[in-house]
Amino acid sequence: MPVQRLGWVAYRQRSFMAGMAPALMVLALITIAPAVYLVLTSLTPLNLTLPNTAWDFSNPAGNYIDLLEDPRFTRSVWVQVKLSVSTVILQLLVGLGVALLLNGGTRIRELARSGFLIPMVLPPIVVGILWKVMYAVDISPFHRFMAYIGLPVPSLITDPNWALFAIVIAETWEWFPFTMLMVLAALQMIPASPLEAARIDGANNWQIFRFVMFPYIQSTLVVAAIFRLIDSIKAFPLIFVLTDGGPGDVTEVTNYYAYRQAFTFSLWGYGSAIATLMVAGIFVLSWVIDRLTGAADAEAD
Amino acid sequence: MQRQIEPQPAAPRARPGPASRYWFQRNRRWLGDMGTIALLLLVLFPFAWLVQMSFRPNKDILGYELLFEPTLAHYKALWTGAFPASFVNSTITSVSSTVLALVIGVPAAYALSRGGFRSSRRIALWILATRMAPPIAFTIPFFLAYRYLGLSDTLIGLIIVYLTFNLALVIWMMQPFFDGVPRELEEAAWIDGCGVWEAFWRVTLPLSAPGLAATAVICFILSWNDFFYALVLTRTNASTAPVAIVNFIQYTGWEWGRIAAAGTLVMLPVVIFSILVRNYLVRGLAAGGVKE
Repeated sequence: MPVQRLGWVAYRQRSFMAGMAPALMVLALITIAPAVYLVLTSLTPLNLTLPNTAWDFSNPAGNYIDLLEDPRFTRSVWVQVKLSVSTVILQLLVGLGVALLLNGGTRIRELARSGFLIPMVLPPIVVGILWKVMYAVDISPFHRFMAYIGLPVPSLITDPNWALFAIVIAETWEWFPFTMLMVLAALQMIPASPLEAARIDGANNWQIFRFVMFPYIQSTLVVAAIFRLIDSIKAFPLIFVLTDGGPGDVTEVTNYYAYRQAFTFSLWGYGSAIATLMVAGIFVLSWVIDRLTGAADAEAD
Repeated sequence: MQRQIEPQPAAPRARPGPASRYWFQRNRRWLGDMGTIALLLLVLFPFAWLVQMSFRPNKDILGYELLFEPTLAHYKALWTGAFPASFVNSTITSVSSTVLALVIGVPAAYALSRGGFRSSRRIALWILATRMAPPIAFTIPFFLAYRYLGLSDTLIGLIIVYLTFNLALVIWMMQPFFDGVPRELEEAAWIDGCGVWEAFWRVTLPLSAPGLAATAVICFILSWNDFFYALVLTRTNASTAPVAIVNFIQYTGWEWGRIAAAGTLVMLPVVIFSILVRNYLVRGLAAGGVKE
């Protein structure tokens, strides 16, 4: 019997390996190979209009040294920081607020939940278009209403002082449902008894939120924030449709700058170097996520 | 020794507040509902505005009178242009990429769930990293490689690129569903003479059908919504609906009625699908961060 049993275990293990193998091979081919290619390209001055620049490793650090002295790159990182920090904070606040409202548990609020998640699932290009409509002075219902009551507002997306703010609004609108859904899921996991106990002890709403609910949703808020932070680094369609990085370069985030360098100016080596730095930055953030969720799990166990 | 439950005098009930407090509580509920509806209308306003614009006749496209004679002119105009072909492209790439990701990813998710591999944690991290990596890091090498492989501006090229996010998503989403299926059921099938994959096909997979459906829908939505990859990797032959809208804007300018109609058509399938799978959306979109 033991021999036969061992045979079965080995067979089973082999079967599982066979099930994993195709996925691992495909994943390696479509993720690791491009990553290696990207890093190698970032060490060359590749420019598709100059054929001899491919695989020219004579000055491997060239792109990275140039990046350090490129004020437009530094500005793009700064724009990115402003965009990411403000949208993440706003999405957390709005998402938390709406989640607390929807947690009321009436039939209407249950139904409203599906409505609130619409912005998040719309194709990003459509989100861009519908905010383009909102921001275009001659067609936007908002601008026309303000003009009608005698307080015309100039277009936000063509004003260098306001363009980034316009993107922040649209980005917050698109992604607050994400934090809302995550927080709502966490709120619904809170057991009823501590809430009741606090209420019987005479705690007011703020105290119940701060001392009873908040500890339960704290780790969810952190995870939601980091997810939104990482995704905000990929912002593209909204900027593409609304401002194209402009006016000037006030809304040109790092992702957009890398896209421009590679696909508009054909500076593939330089674009790859920017993308490589972005991947490195995001890996650091991913590591933080893993630590945080691991810590949260350990706490829960 | 177990503590005995002694009969206790009835605990004093929570003292009812003054009548006004009851009134306030009841109204708070009602006010909250009203607030929810008002907020929902506000949030969905830009969305609804685009939809109504798509039905407005050209001569008062800018109007905001609620009463207007709806017209399908914009939709008909779209039908004659390049838009229908892009819609077909979108459908083919999204469906194919979803099916391919499921075929490759589902067995892997099952193996990860049951195999007890020592490296499964490392694989999980790898998948998380794939989810996190910025698309620009994939588009540059894919664009360069496709020039040599002859895959630029082809549907196959797009389908492969969409696997970069769909495959990771399938593995990540399906694994907990398989974890939830009791192993005893498979073991019974094994005893009855089924092989590992036969038992999986006949027992485990049917029991995970809702999870499979939700995963498929989310893969479809992510591929359908993609703009960046399609913008960079296609020109004319393989351009998908989101890119077609942009091309259309570049050629004919901001012709609002038709843009609104195209936008409405592109978002229609995802709105329907996402409401169907709303309970799984967080798990899909936060793949890697939410452990249930």
